[in-house]
Amino acid sequence: MIIIRGVRHGIIDIPSCAIPEGHTAVIGPNGSGKSTLLRIIAGLEEPVRGCITIGEQSPGESAVGWVHEVPGQNSLFTRVRDEITSPLRFRHLSCDEITSRAAEVAAQTGISSLMDRELATLSGGEQVLVALATAMISKPDILVLDEWDSHLDAPSSAMLQNQLNTGGVRTILQCTQNMDLAASADTIVFLTKGRVKATGTPLDVFGKCIDTCYYPPSWRWREWNLRSKG
Amino acid sequence: MEVEGMELAFEGVSVTRGSYDIRVSGSFCQGINLVSGRVGSGKSTVAAMAAGILSPDGGSIHRKGISTSMLSFQFPESGLTGSTVKEEVYSYGVHDADTLAMADLSGRGEDDPLSLSRGELKKLSLACVLSRPWDLLVLDGPFEALDCRGKREVCRWIEHRRSSIVILCTHEQHILPRIDALWEFQEHTLVFRGLVPEALARWDLAPTSIKTLISRGTLPFNVSEDDIREAACRIQG
Repeated sequence: MIIIRGVRHGIIDIPSCAIPEGHTAVIGPNGSGKSTLLRIIAGLEEPVRGCITIGEQSPGESAVGWVHEVPGQNSLFTRVRDEITSPLRFRHLSCDEITSRAAEVAAQTGISSLMDRELATLSGGEQVLVALATAMISKPDILVLDEWDSHLDAPSSAMLQNQLNTGGVRTILQCTQNMDLAASADTIVFLTKGRVKATGTPLDVFGKCIDTCYYPPSWRWREWNLRSKG
Repeated sequence: MEVEGMELAFEGVSVTRGSYDIRVSGSFCQGINLVSGRVGSGKSTVAAMAAGILSPDGGSIHRKGISTSMLSFQFPESGLTGSTVKEEVYSYGVHDADTLAMADLSGRGEDDPLSLSRGELKKLSLACVLSRPWDLLVLDGPFEALDCRGKREVCRWIEHRRSSIVILCTHEQHILPRIDALWEFQEHTLVFRGLVPEALARWDLAPTSIKTLISRGTLPFNVSEDDIREAACRIQG
């Protein structure tokens, strides 16, 4: 469980919020503070006021995998294989273990054929996949994904979301503008102007915004299909 | 000024990427050309060649009647030149107040552009690009990071550019402008699917809504939200 108490930081102003284990989607308009909230939870920034705990730990003490909204922003190496294996190399794991884990995570993210490419020659979507593989290779307790899906085509993002949901990571926190992806989460946190406008299951939260463009398109289609078939 | 018969022609163009080639042949004409494709298929490569910032390894690219062109980058962070939002707007040679209003950033002219959220920065860069007329306008991933209201607004801006050659490379599935022509990558070869609406039946990566409508015997007139709703109403009666 992630507990947020009295946090003020930049635009973020959250008196209290509890995010359960599982898959949480953070949604909201541009500039509502989604990325700022994710950075604080990932321990990349300290809140000016208030505190966040993840289980019994502070964000900085937790094993967090992070994917930046601009892929390549956090890259350290020029070759894909070096970038993906770097978290394990820094921990001095054995070469066999690193090779085996890299092959596993590359297959999961569909980038086995890119391992010897230079990062600079990859497309934006491919760079996201590399960032995701790098975040996943050390099997973090929490995976924080800052709008990773916006650079991906629909089949790729659906396939990867499925991998993430079944990949054994206890807590996944992601922000997205894809409401169909958000609807597949266990919990939704809807931010506006730095505050939590609504939180709960997708049914709870999206049920309150049926007449807005935040309502998941796939839900509209499902309802239309039911109506049109009588 | 509208130029009759503008055309951007790719003749046997190829670019080598690792172990494969990206191949493009065909002509982009006036109107909105949607380029669809999987991750890594070659959309950004085509965008860069169309804008003239990448030379092909093989083949040739010809511009007919095109005097001005502009590329909207997939990642606007990498193209920033101003240290304030206002300076960034000026760098495009456009009026700051109008452009800031377009981007919903009125009153934030003195802010550091890197202090904007990614969606705000994306909208700012699109507002700058779309504040001036261009014969050729290349938009690489324009909807990425935008919220649904922003996407709808950008669709309206793009639809006003139908007299230009607009090349729109995107993964967006739900909120799209009305388009004129459809192109799609098959593996790494760009294929012209045809003019809309007939081309929609040949679109492999078509959104679920369009595939559902076609499977039930109804071809939408176009790909905008209004067109999809109208086609759905035709079925429902």
